[in-house]
This record gives sequence, C-alpha cells and structure tokens, in this order.
Amino acid sequence: MSDQTGIAPARSTLSLHKLGVFCGLAAAVWLGSAEAPTKLVTEGFSPFVISIGMVMGAFVARWTVPTLLKGTGFLFNDLREKPHLIVWALLAGMLWAVGNTLTIFAVRNVGLSIAFPLWNTNSLVGLMWGCLLFKELRGSRPRDWMKVMGGALAIVSGATVLAIATTQQSGGAPGRAAVGIIAALGAGAMFGTMYIPYRKAYISGMNPLSFVTIFTFGELGAILTLGLIFFGGVSPLAGEIARARTMLFWPFVGGFCWVIGDLFQQYAAKYIGIGRGIPLSNTNQLWGLAWGALVFGEFTGLTGGSRLLIIAGSSIMIAGAVSISMAEPPPGEMENWHAAMHRECDRYGLDTSSVSAVVAGDDPLADHKHPRRWWEVLIMCLAAAVFVWLAAGTRAQHIYVNVPWMIVLIVSTIVPLALCGTLLWRRTRFS
Amino acid sequence: MKRSQWICILTDVHLWVPAAVLILGTALLMTLR
Repeated sequence: MSDQTGIAPARSTLSLHKLGVFCGLAAAVWLGSAEAPTKLVTEGFSPFVISIGMVMGAFVARWTVPTLLKGTGFLFNDLREKPHLIVWALLAGMLWAVGNTLTIFAVRNVGLSIAFPLWNTNSLVGLMWGCLLFKELRGSRPRDWMKVMGGALAIVSGATVLAIATTQQSGGAPGRAAVGIIAALGAGAMFGTMYIPYRKAYISGMNPLSFVTIFTFGELGAILTLGLIFFGGVSPLAGEIARARTMLFWPFVGGFCWVIGDLFQQYAAKYIGIGRGIPLSNTNQLWGLAWGALVFGEFTGLTGGSRLLIIAGSSIMIAGAVSISMAEPPPGEMENWHAAMHRECDRYGLDTSSVSAVVAGDDPLADHKHPRRWWEVLIMCLAAAVFVWLAAGTRAQHIYVNVPWMIVLIVSTIVPLALCGTLLWRRTRFS
Repeated sequence: MKRSQWICILTDVHLWVPAAVLILGTALLMTLR
C-alpha cells in the first residue's frame, strides 16, 4: 500500500459544544434505529444468544469502521502512546456486554415499553459520575446546572410518559415483573458506569476509534464467558447458536447499527462530556418509537388518550434535549475539565500539550494520512463475507412492515450519518 | 507497561468504581438465569 503523507485542507471552526450536540443527536438516531432489526427476531430464543448475535455485529463494526476511517497504523500508534487505557477499554466492553444482556432479560420479563425508560436512567448515573469523578458541571453557573439537570430529568420523565402510553398497547409480560424491573435498572447502572472509561479515555487524549477497537474484545470476551457459564459448556452454547442460525442476521445488523450510534456517542462524550452527551443520545427512544409505530404498526389500536401521552412524552424529551444543547460549559467549568485532564497527564506521564490539543479536537497527527496496510483490505473482505454468510442463511420473517415509512426512516437515519460524519471530519479529522 | 504504571492503574478510583459495578451487575445476571 502507498505511504501517503499529504496534509489535508484547513479545518472548520465549528464550536466543540455544537459538534458534541450534533454527535449526541446523531447517536440517538442510530441507537434507536439499531432496535429495528432486533424486532424481526421471533420468539423462543435465549436472551444470551440474541446478545451474542448483537456482540458479533458490534465486533465486526468496531474493527471495520475505525480501520476504514483511520487505518490500523494510526490506531496502534494511539494505543501504544496510552497503553494504560487498554484496561479501561476492556472494562467498558465488559460493562456493556453484561448491561446489554440484562436489557434482554428485562425486555423478556416486562416488555420494551417499561424496560427502555428504566435503563435510560443511565443518563442520570452518567451525570453523577461525570460530576463526581471528572468535575463536570463544577464551576458552572446555576442556570447551566438547571439546564443540564432539568434536561436530563425531562428526558427520563418523557421516557416514562412514553412507557405508560405504549404499555397500554403492547402490554407487559405477565409475572416476573419485579425481576425485569431490577434487570432494567441494573442495565441502567451498567451503561451509566460504562461512561467512566469513555470519559477517562478522552480526557487522556485517546481517539474514540482506537478505544472501541479494544472495547470490543472486552464485550466479546465477557459475553462468550457468560454464555459458556449459562449454557454449561462449549457444545450446548454452539448448539444454541446453531439453532438460532436463521435469525442471527437481525441482531447482528442491530449490533452493527448500534456501534455507529455508539461512535457518535463516544464523540459526544469527548466533546461535551458525559453529563450532557449521554442524555442527548438517550433521546434514541423517540426513534425506537418511530420505528415501532410507523414501520411495524405496533400502535394501530391506540386510544386518543395514549396518542396524547405519546405526543406529551415526546415533547418533554425534545424540550430536555433542547435545554441541554443550550448549556454550553462556561469558562469556570472548563477550568475544572482541564484540571481533570491534568490529573490524568500527571498520573500516567502523558504529554500535556499533546493531550490538550487532542482534547480540543486538534490532534496534529490527524492531518497526516497514515499508510494503509494489506490486512486492512482483508478485514473489510472478512466483514463483508460474514454479512453475506449470515444474510444467506436467514429465514424470511412474516411481520408487517410499512415500506414507505421504512424508506423515510432509513433516509432519516442516513442523513445524520453523512451530516455529522462530515462535521466531525471537517472540524477534528475524527480525532 | 512499567510496574509503577500498573500501581497507578490499580490504585485509581476510576478503575475501582466501574470494576465494583461490573461485579455487582454480573452477580445480578447470574441470579436471573
């Protein structure tokens, strides 16, 4: 492969706060849309097998997307400079795997409508850790506290209203409700805590694309270990996966879409912190609702009162997102952000000036194109082969789909990807 | 990594908070099967 060392054109001057807000909203679109393929999974499969399918899709996405955007040379250099963060990336992956499996237990026991808002409390957990461990919101004005706290609470409240409205239609699974609620809250705690490694990596100057390539080993290792324990060995687990072969493509695609949303979420966590970024990405429930209502016709028999509740819940969530978007951190808070960054530099011997540049989205190395390697082509070919292999063995699902609405939502999903991807490239070169 | 860096990692509160939550979450998952 050729060794390109050209310098890219000048960068845009978009504020990092605005960029982070766009990333948070784009994350919501993709995280919400990631649910759509999993709706095509018919009943009767173990939550673990569905989770393994998602993790397989996530594993493929977490290697192909960073390789495509930055190349393995850049990623390995970044990891070599901050090797201590490998521990946190693995830990975050394990937290995600356990949290994701808990969500599937929760959906099985109480239904998506109740489980979703409960695990969306992860934004409040993330807000607490951001404030306690990374000095987020410290030094900000009372009105900024009100905007962020009020916005996060509005998003959780909106989620609860939506849950009440949609539960009337879809109905929770009978019995085992308490276990489902505990599982959903547990998932919220796991996801909310997963943002500690995210934030730590980004105030240490790590690139989100490098972080996720290691993250995925944590999630794959954890889910396979849990699967082996649950099924009692390799043979029963392999048998269960083989039995699910005809539907494995759908959670695989869901996991792949989830990673694209998560990448935007990682950039939001980097540029506006977890206290602001995670509540924004948690508006994904609106997109999940749109897919359910418009494409899968889940709420055709909805009463007028329930429709009003859905409009109210959605409006509250949107108001919460708008409130957070307007809470740009003041200089007093930025000083605390820098203090958190200096703590990492002092503790792990990082170069402060280099880390400061990367944290500000101005990674000097990002402008230089890195040599492409032959194995990157191999990674892409293998990823495409896995997609084709899984798709070829998938049985058609007999489920109602509104094709015009599906096209509208697919376009609405691709537009933020192109828009936000372009903004990230022009402002930060994906750093 | 050097020994001193491992000590920094192992004594970092940023490690122990998520590690403790992971242990609790895994224990919860085990009780649900």
